[in-house]
Amino acid sequence: MASAAAAMFNRGGSGPNKENSMRGLVSFIADLRNARARELEEKRINKELANIRQKFKQGSMTGYDKKKYVCKLLYIYILGWNVDFGHTEAVKLISATKYSEKQIGYLAVTLFLHEDHELLPLAINSIRKDLHDYNELNNCLALHAIANVGSKEMGESLCDDVHRLLISPTSKPFVKKKAALTMLRLYRKVPSIVQPEWAERIIAIMDDPDMGVALSVTSLIMTIAQDDPDAYRGSYVKAANRLRKIVIDHQYSGDYVYYKVPCPWLQCKLLRLLQYFPPSEDTHIRQLMRHSLRAILDAAMEMPKNVQQNNAQNAVLFEAINLIIHLDTEHDLMVHISTKLGKFIASRETNVRYLGLEAMTHLAVRTETLDPIKKHQDIIIGTLKDRDITVRRQGLDLLYSMCDTTNSQKIVQELLKFLQTADYAIREEMVLKIAILTEKYATDVKWYVDISMRLIAMAGDHVSDEVWQRIIQIVTNNDELQVYAAQTILQYCKADHCHETLVKIGSYILGEFGHLIADSQGCSPIEQFMALQGKFNSCSPNTRAMILSAFVKFVNLFPEIKPQLLQAFTTYSHSLDSELQQRACEYLTMATMPSDELLRTVCDEMPPFPERASALLSRLDKKQGAIGDKRTWSVTAKDGLPTLDRSSTLKRNFSAAQTATANGIANGAAISNGANGMVKSPIEELAGLDLGGPVNLASASHLSPDWEPGYHRLLLRPEGTLYEDVQIQIGLRSEYRAEVGCLIIYFTNKSSAPIQSFTTTLDNSSPEQLKIDIKDLPDTTVHPGSQAQQMVMFEAKTVFTDSPTIRVSYMAGSLQALTLKLPVAIHKYMENAVLSSDDFFKRWKQIGGAPRESQKIFQGYDVSTESTKRLLEGFKWGVLGGVDPNSKNFVGATVLHTTGGKFGCLLRLEPNMESKMYRLTIRATDESVPPVLMKYMEERLAQPWPL
Amino acid sequence: MAIRYLILLSRQGKVRLAKWFTTLSPREKAKIIKDVSQLVLARRTRMCNFLEYKDTKVVYRRYASLFFIAATDPTDNELITLEIVHRYVEQMDKYYGNVCELDIIFNFQKAYFILDELLLAGEMQESSKKNVLRVIGAQDGLEEMEVSEDGSLTGSHVQ
Repeated sequence: MASAAAAMFNRGGSGPNKENSMRGLVSFIADLRNARARELEEKRINKELANIRQKFKQGSMTGYDKKKYVCKLLYIYILGWNVDFGHTEAVKLISATKYSEKQIGYLAVTLFLHEDHELLPLAINSIRKDLHDYNELNNCLALHAIANVGSKEMGESLCDDVHRLLISPTSKPFVKKKAALTMLRLYRKVPSIVQPEWAERIIAIMDDPDMGVALSVTSLIMTIAQDDPDAYRGSYVKAANRLRKIVIDHQYSGDYVYYKVPCPWLQCKLLRLLQYFPPSEDTHIRQLMRHSLRAILDAAMEMPKNVQQNNAQNAVLFEAINLIIHLDTEHDLMVHISTKLGKFIASRETNVRYLGLEAMTHLAVRTETLDPIKKHQDIIIGTLKDRDITVRRQGLDLLYSMCDTTNSQKIVQELLKFLQTADYAIREEMVLKIAILTEKYATDVKWYVDISMRLIAMAGDHVSDEVWQRIIQIVTNNDELQVYAAQTILQYCKADHCHETLVKIGSYILGEFGHLIADSQGCSPIEQFMALQGKFNSCSPNTRAMILSAFVKFVNLFPEIKPQLLQAFTTYSHSLDSELQQRACEYLTMATMPSDELLRTVCDEMPPFPERASALLSRLDKKQGAIGDKRTWSVTAKDGLPTLDRSSTLKRNFSAAQTATANGIANGAAISNGANGMVKSPIEELAGLDLGGPVNLASASHLSPDWEPGYHRLLLRPEGTLYEDVQIQIGLRSEYRAEVGCLIIYFTNKSSAPIQSFTTTLDNSSPEQLKIDIKDLPDTTVHPGSQAQQMVMFEAKTVFTDSPTIRVSYMAGSLQALTLKLPVAIHKYMENAVLSSDDFFKRWKQIGGAPRESQKIFQGYDVSTESTKRLLEGFKWGVLGGVDPNSKNFVGATVLHTTGGKFGCLLRLEPNMESKMYRLTIRATDESVPPVLMKYMEERLAQPWPL
Repeated sequence: MAIRYLILLSRQGKVRLAKWFTTLSPREKAKIIKDVSQLVLARRTRMCNFLEYKDTKVVYRRYASLFFIAATDPTDNELITLEIVHRYVEQMDKYYGNVCELDIIFNFQKAYFILDELLLAGEMQESSKKNVLRVIGAQDGLEEMEVSEDGSLTGSHVQ
């Protein structure tokens, strides 16, 4: 692979083909290349620096000369030499009238200066001037400068100009995309620069026909959406849609096909963006994504020979795999990818092997069952011996993530084996991971103790304090471990060579639990004493102090060796180390007191350690650092999942400690992910969505001024115009069958120019009661005189009180947006009924009064018999004649259909012609119905809306 | 998800071009160049193109005498980063016509200008070769016009 690629650079070799127009610069560079020794190079550079300094001092140079000298300084700088003058000249050069001088000036600004540089404020005015210049190339230079060295101050004074270039209908694509990425830089520096109300307009640019613009703005949105998913939720549908257009509809220009792969960069970004949101609940969107994902997997069936094609294809494939894992519901696709990953990790190509392991780690963290991964366990273990450390590290991560009670013993054993030959760079992390796995999956007392001690014996130098302290905590908190732990550690301490860390553990454990084993062979008090005493001289002061503390506990436990212990204290009370000396003296005094009351109190058995998050996990977490990416997983997150079946059960405190452990890492993961605010779980985010969240432009609180006439007309009719202005007409047709309604919404472009980025967003304030299912999305481009349409199903699960709303936005020069209420109300699900007079009164009585009755007297608009009857029929009442003795009164019956059941409804409406009042009484078989119907009917009967 | 820096390094360890997309002190930059050069130069062929360095992922590839080294966030897509590097090489190849290390040395400013059309704020902005060349061509056009103006006014410049 390297050779094929290298050919590209070998072909040249004869020298620069493009002539550098600055001859002085060329000869200077040539001089430096001829200076073989560093001293010669330095000499030549110093000579040149002196020359340039003098020229700058003299002033009165032509623009060409300034440009040339700044270029020379730049070259010197790139070679790694310090250039401490000429920066002012560089800044001045950006206001040159000649483009080539300006361009070098800007290059120097981006290389010499940084965001906190004192000269930067001086450049702001020139940059602003160039942002306003009619020449787009100058706009671009200014944007480059901001994108490279943009500071807070610069951002605050120039962000409006950048924003203007981003959204202006006259901006050329090559300016727009730079503006998008410049905005991204400014957002990274000062998030508040990107104002919340820009969101909708920025999202609309994702539909830009120019792929470069779409790519750049997607990068911008990806970053902001990680911090503020609610405001950028609209980008989800856009991403799914754009991906389909590329992958399924093949909508792209040939320029953007990279080695047969259509715009892999944009595909990767879109696939990643979709991972930043909780999976969509919408069936249509899910299907959209499913089709695209399948197409990507299918395309990856063939393995291209060309390196670039292979890389680009796999780049998209791995991102698709990550999205599938994130969606976590596409079982067919999941099976497909685990097989594929199995092949990858055994690939002969190192890159593929590595990426396969990485994706499998993600899978292990997220998936319900580890079985598909465990199938490859041997191969994965084998990767610990890979010749490439990058692969070995990833293998370690995967083994850690795929561990559970069934394979923990095997994996830990392999890790221990590998630890002996592992690179120094990863030993500490390995030790930490082994320690965590050992604790987490210990099902057997002996196993936990054996492995922990072996781990330290083997890799003591790489063991952080947290590891050995954790072992002591766990032994202390678990009675059943204590005897075995004491026996084992004593054996280690008796050996000639014993790692100092083991001596620390030995001091503590024998001091606390040595008496439990004192009757066993080879474990007598004197032998315990000798073992620790023998290590004293080779240990550091800290460990020595711990040994002394063990000894004072021995005084309490083993009176038979008191003389030896006192002797030891006496010896060390002359220690040169003041801490040791003090300890020895204190212990000596305590041990020789006439009463042993104090000694007993002080040396009483240690209480169990309070349960708290494992320090091991927080340490591992710290090592993995704050990852800037907010996908809802990280390598360690597995432990944070509620894996009851997988967690093991050492009894009592131990298992309690595990719960604490799990919580610990859950919090830890959240913190590491949440550098700019806490990551919410998908559930929380959904909850936030229903409650409105920050700004939901599609909600009823943002209705456009002229929404009412169309809405009220269509409340009583199945089809008609919902809204109309000079640019757009929105009409709809509806059909209701039982509890399901189908709406087709038509959008007609009335203007003479095409409408771009056409977007609809539905908002449902009562998802529990009303289920919305979007069947398709309207085309994003609507040509003059033509129509886009969208079909949506509404299912009444039970009685709902609020009609859903729709946000319609599109680009027609600038962004236009409307929020309208859809005429989907509970009465649409009613079917008029015919009842005889007797039946009516019988049921009327059966239902009875409150709470299953609503009654109200209110002012009507047009109480005439004819008009009232039409309204009632519009509300789908069967108007029953000859039931009410008063012929002016109306009586009606209807049946309401919901998924939760059918409800019979009866009505009596008494108009008072003189006072133009109505008295309306509604009874229904369920008390939830009358108030809602009353609300809609009163609103309608009292208002002058034409029918 | 962005490139943090891009370094072009010769086999002898000389920096031919460095572009930093995050703000770092000269000292930090020097340290990174030193560490990463060491790591990359020590790699053998047919090892994978990715490395872990501190809290970044280093994606590198060798083209004849030059190493192209990009560092990204650890969660970034490695392969697509690798192809950004390749597209840059191709773009220079198209512009210089059979690019070689000397082109980048003698016309280093152009190498930066091309990079500015490809990457901004560490993100890929344009993957169409044609579009990039068109912009660079427009820049060159302006420059040539200015040079000829210079020539007619003040005579040709020597040194």
